[in-house]
Amino acid sequence: MIPFVLRRMGTALVVAWLALTLAFVVLRWAPGDAVDATLARSGGSAEEIAARRAALGLDDPVGQQYLAYLAGLVRGDLGESLISGQPVSEMLADSFVPTATLSLLALVLAVALGVLLGVLAGAAPYAIVRAAADGTASLALSTPVYWTATLAIYLFTVVLGLLPGVGGTGPRYLILPAGVLGFHTAGSIARVTASSIRESAGQDFVRTAQAKGLPDAQVLDHILRVGLLPVVAVVALQLGFLLGGTVITEIIFVRRGLGRVLILAVNNRDYPVIQGLVVLAAVTYSLVNALADVVYSLVDPRVRSAD
Amino acid sequence: MIAAMILGGMALIALLAPLLATHDPRQAEPQMQLQAPSRAHLFGTDLLGRDVYSRVLYGGRRTLGLALLASSVTLLPGLAIGLVAGYFGRWIDSGLMMLVDAVLAFPSLLLALALVALFGGGLEQIALAVGIAGTPAYARVTRAAVLEARTRLYVEAAHAIGARPPGILARHIVPTIAPPLIAFAGVTLSWAILNGAALMFLGYGGDIAAPDWGVMLADGREAFRTAPWIAFAPGAALSLTVFAINLLAGSLDRRR
Repeated sequence: MIPFVLRRMGTALVVAWLALTLAFVVLRWAPGDAVDATLARSGGSAEEIAARRAALGLDDPVGQQYLAYLAGLVRGDLGESLISGQPVSEMLADSFVPTATLSLLALVLAVALGVLLGVLAGAAPYAIVRAAADGTASLALSTPVYWTATLAIYLFTVVLGLLPGVGGTGPRYLILPAGVLGFHTAGSIARVTASSIRESAGQDFVRTAQAKGLPDAQVLDHILRVGLLPVVAVVALQLGFLLGGTVITEIIFVRRGLGRVLILAVNNRDYPVIQGLVVLAAVTYSLVNALADVVYSLVDPRVRSAD
Repeated sequence: MIAAMILGGMALIALLAPLLATHDPRQAEPQMQLQAPSRAHLFGTDLLGRDVYSRVLYGGRRTLGLALLASSVTLLPGLAIGLVAGYFGRWIDSGLMMLVDAVLAFPSLLLALALVALFGGGLEQIALAVGIAGTPAYARVTRAAVLEARTRLYVEAAHAIGARPPGILARHIVPTIAPPLIAFAGVTLSWAILNGAALMFLGYGGDIAAPDWGVMLADGREAFRTAPWIAFAPGAALSLTVFAINLLAGSLDRRR
C-alpha cells in the first residue's frame, strides 16, 4: 500500500513540475515579453523599457530565469500583475474562497444528480426509466453553462421570481450558479456511472447471486458495490471541467472569483496572472487526482495489484 | 438513427444557409429591433434588428466550421502521439505520456483561454487553441486502444514474420482500433463545439457582428428579460447538435 501511495504521489509531483515548466516555456515563447505588453504599448522611452526589463530580470539567461521562477513558486511567489502591480498570489488568495465555494457546491450537486441518473440509467428495472435517465444525462452533457444559465435566470428569476438573479453575494445568490454548473457536470458523471454499472451487472458474481435465488434488491446491492467504485476517480477528473465551468459561470452571474480574474488577465494579456492561475489549477488538479487514485485503491485493492 | 438524421439535417442547414435564409444575417435594421417571432421574422429580431432565423442558419456554418477545424487540429497530433507511444512502449511511451499528462493537468477551457491570450482573438486562433487543448485526451485514448490491439494474435503473428512497424500499424492496428477512435472523435467534436462557442460567448471571436451561436447566446443574455427568443434559437441548435453527436458516439461505442 505505502509503496503505491508514494509512487502515485511521486508521479503527481513530476507531472505538476512538468506542467509548471510547460507554462514557463510557452509564456517565454509568447510574442513580446511582459514589458512589451505594458510599458512599450503605452509609449515608454527606450531607457525606461531597458530599466524595467532589467528590474524584472528579463535580461537574465533563460536558465537563471527558470530557476528564479521555481524558487518563487516554492515560496508562494507568483510574480506581480503587469497591470496593477499587485502580487499574483495575493490576487488569487482574495478570489479563492468564492470560487472554491461555488465549485464545491456544484460538485456536490453534480455527484448527487450524476450518481442518481447513472444508477437509474444502468440498473433501473423498466426500460423507459433507463432511457429517460440516459436522455437526461445526455441533455446535461449537451447544454453548456452559458446557455442553461440564461434559461435558468429567465425561469427562476423573471418568470417564477423565486431566486435572485445576477450580482450580489450571500447564500441565496449561490443556488442558481451552483445548480447550473452542477447540472452540466452531472452529465459526464452519470455517463461513467451507468456504463460501470452495466459492466458490473454482466459479471459472474451477479449471475451466481441470481442463480442462487437472491432477491433483486440484494443482487442490486452486489452490483452497486462494485459498479460505483470508479465514481471516485471520475469525480476527481470532473474537477477540471468544473474549474473551466466556474470561469463562465462567474462571468454570467457577475460573481467575484478566480474566473473573473482570469478573464480580465486574458483581456489585458497580463501573463503573470494567467500563468499563476493555470499553474494553480494544474497543481490542484494533479494532486486531487493522485489523491483520488489512492482513495480508489483503498476501496478497491485490485487497482494496486493491476498497476 | 435519429441522431444521424439530426446531424445530417444540421450539416445540410449549415451548407444551404444562403438558400434558406430570409434576410442578410449582418443587416441591422434599428427600427425593427427586438421584434417577437412573426411570419416576417420566424425567430424574431435581436437588439440591432437583425433577423435571428437567418443568423442561426449562418451561425451554424461558423460554429460547426470552427469545431471541425479545431477537431482536425486535435486529431492528427493526438493520433500520432498515441500510436507511437502505444506501439513502441518503454521509454518512448513513458516520456510521451508524462508530457501528455502534464498538458492534461490544465483544465481544457483554461488552457484554451491561456492560448487565446497568447495567439490573440479570432476564429482561426480559437480553433487552434481549442484544438490543442483537446489533443492530450485524444492521445491517451489512442494509446489505450493501441495497447489493447497490440496483444492480438494477428499483430504478434505479423511481428513474428518480420513485418515492419509502419506496416503493422497501418494494416493491423489502425483498422482494429478505428471504431473506438471514431467514437471518441465524436466526443472531441462535441467538446470543440462547446469550448469554441464558450470562447465566442466570452467575446474572443474578433468579428462581433458575425453570426455565430456563441456570439448570439452572448447577445441574447443582454436582452433575455424582454426578448428570450434571441438566445433560445442558437441555444437549442447548439444543444441539439451536441446531443446528436453524443448519441451517435455512444451507439458507435456500444457496438464494438
